[in-house]
Amino acid sequence: MPALLELDAVSKRFGGLDANRDVSLVVEEGQIVGLIGPNGAGKTTLFNCVSGFFPPTSGSIRFAGNEIAGWAPERVLRAGLARTFQVVRTFPEMTVLDNVMIGAFARTNRAGEARARAAELLAFTGLAGRAHARGADLTIADKKRLELTRALATQPRLLMLDEVMAGLNPAERAQAVTLIRAIRDRGTTVLLVEHVMEVVMPISDHVVVLDSGRKIAEGPPRTIVRDPNVIAAYLGEKYRPRDEGTA
Amino acid sequence: MNVDLRSRTGRWLVAAVALVALVLFPLFVGGGSWLNTAVLVLLYAGLAQAWNILGGFAGQVSLGNAAFFGIGAYTSTVLLDRWNVSPWLGMPVGAIVAAAFAVAVFFPFFRLGGHYFAIATIALAEILLILFTNWAFVRGARGITIPFVRGPDRRPTDSWAFLQFNESRVPYYYVVLGLAVLAVATAVVVERSKLGYYLRAIKNDQQAARSLGVPVLRYKLIAVAISAAVTAAFGTFYAQYLLFIDPETTMRLELSVLIALVAILGGVGTVVGPLLGALVLIPLSEVTRSQLAGSGNTLDLVLYGGLIMLIAAFQPNGLVAIGDRFRRRREAVRPAGDETERGEAPLVGAPGTRN
Ligand SMILES: Nc1ncnc2c1ncn2[C@@H]1O[C@H](COP(=O)(O)OP(=O)(O)OP(=O)(O)O)[C@@H](O)[C@H]1O
Ligand SMILES: [Mg+2]
Repeated sequence: MPALLELDAVSKRFGGLDANRDVSLVVEEGQIVGLIGPNGAGKTTLFNCVSGFFPPTSGSIRFAGNEIAGWAPERVLRAGLARTFQVVRTFPEMTVLDNVMIGAFARTNRAGEARARAAELLAFTGLAGRAHARGADLTIADKKRLELTRALATQPRLLMLDEVMAGLNPAERAQAVTLIRAIRDRGTTVLLVEHVMEVVMPISDHVVVLDSGRKIAEGPPRTIVRDPNVIAAYLGEKYRPRDEGTA
Repeated sequence: MNVDLRSRTGRWLVAAVALVALVLFPLFVGGGSWLNTAVLVLLYAGLAQAWNILGGFAGQVSLGNAAFFGIGAYTSTVLLDRWNVSPWLGMPVGAIVAAAFAVAVFFPFFRLGGHYFAIATIALAEILLILFTNWAFVRGARGITIPFVRGPDRRPTDSWAFLQFNESRVPYYYVVLGLAVLAVATAVVVERSKLGYYLRAIKNDQQAARSLGVPVLRYKLIAVAISAAVTAAFGTFYAQYLLFIDPETTMRLELSVLIALVAILGGVGTVVGPLLGALVLIPLSEVTRSQLAGSGNTLDLVLYGGLIMLIAAFQPNGLVAIGDRFRRRREAVRPAGDETERGEAPLVGAPGTRN
């Protein structure tokens, strides 16, 4: 059985900048895969290529048996691949419930069914208590949770999360980790982008490390934390101050 | 009686009472200028409601809806004038022509962002106006006069079959009332369906909408098609009401501006907003028109411009939001502790719960 997601030599150039260069990786069904790398490594760019927000300059992206490179985002979504945004994009003037219903409508035309599905998922992710609040009125932690719930409502086979834990306090992070595990246990594969290594390690089955657009290491978390290339990449980071959660 | 007017039953009750009042209205005023004002109020309420589907729900502000209005008026009138086709048939034909035209023209328009989109819609109606003014087939600037339907005694008479009423204006009122009800029903159905949800998502954040599988362009085109079709139906009505059309009366810029303004004043993105806007603005503009008679149309535009500035500055959510603001103030003095928002069902807990 082929892997759920398979990237082969994916590159993305912005003018003279190689945001991604020959990135290859494999996500097996049922896994939680961590994608890490320092600031500007090209993680979000890779997400955008895979989710159809822009086409890769070259390379192949296979998802569930289809070559999806160059597909429009809505088509990628319908094929079963959902993503969240690093900079949250909740619908500000819609209620939390309505936000999630938009996701649910990807699989149904009936409002009643979408509403029921949304309510069920809000209970699952612990947002039911805010169902009638406006998207704009949520805390950053709840906004991130809402984006995740909304993406989940599209019933994806693969869920790609871009820094859902950035900007959260330790207690909120612990909740998020529990939730991501629960999502995997329901049968959804997860590709998790995080900037902070410590968050990714305990929950990932497999970790891929990007630096300056290239893959510099991959393997189980245990070996990654000792990889000299990874350590070097992250060491240089100290001198580049970074604004968590807003980048 | 103590019914919360914001609740589901309360809203139906208000709608039913309003409808009965509207049906009885002509019995009290007869056929005079009040009836004419009421016809215009209903006409603009329906036009603003149609505008609202694209401009309100989806946030795509069009200042060229007069183009659809004109297409509706001209389609049925040309069919009637040349081939003696009843306006009742011309009306749906005009609606279809307007919808097809809207889809073809707005396809490229939707690639334009923000202000450029609005400007393109203005240009659209203006170009159409110039084309019709110079198009011999539709009798150019001279316009088309719809001949009277005459009775056996050769006097102009009433004809439901040809949507023309010369003895009493009251049937026109009921026709436009029916159309307005249809427009409101369309808006309500759109608002509650997947279409309405998708349009609101598009208005809120197009990229996020796409990431959730919303085919943004397709849904905008559906919205403009519906908006154009409804607008065109009113165009046919208007032609029959005046029994005369020319490019100026059916496609001029002020018409487009007034349609948008009625919706914006009332409150965009709500079903009640356009109705409220028409109820306030149309009688007002009738008064100013009669008071300022002879000074041309420019003063109207100055007034509208001023109104837009006032709304933008003080009440961006329109008249419907005044009630909300008032209520919120009242709530603020109430003790806290009620987590749920006013007027809404208890929080959704169990799967399958409807609210
Ligand atoms: N649309 C774009 N146009 C031009 N350059 C871009 C664009 N998007 C990203 N880049 C550049 O590509 C590089 C990779 O950016 P990317 O956002 O993918 O990094 P990242 O790994 O997600 O970083 P972070 O941890 O800060 O989120 C950066 O140098 C960035 O400036
Ligand atoms: Mg990023």
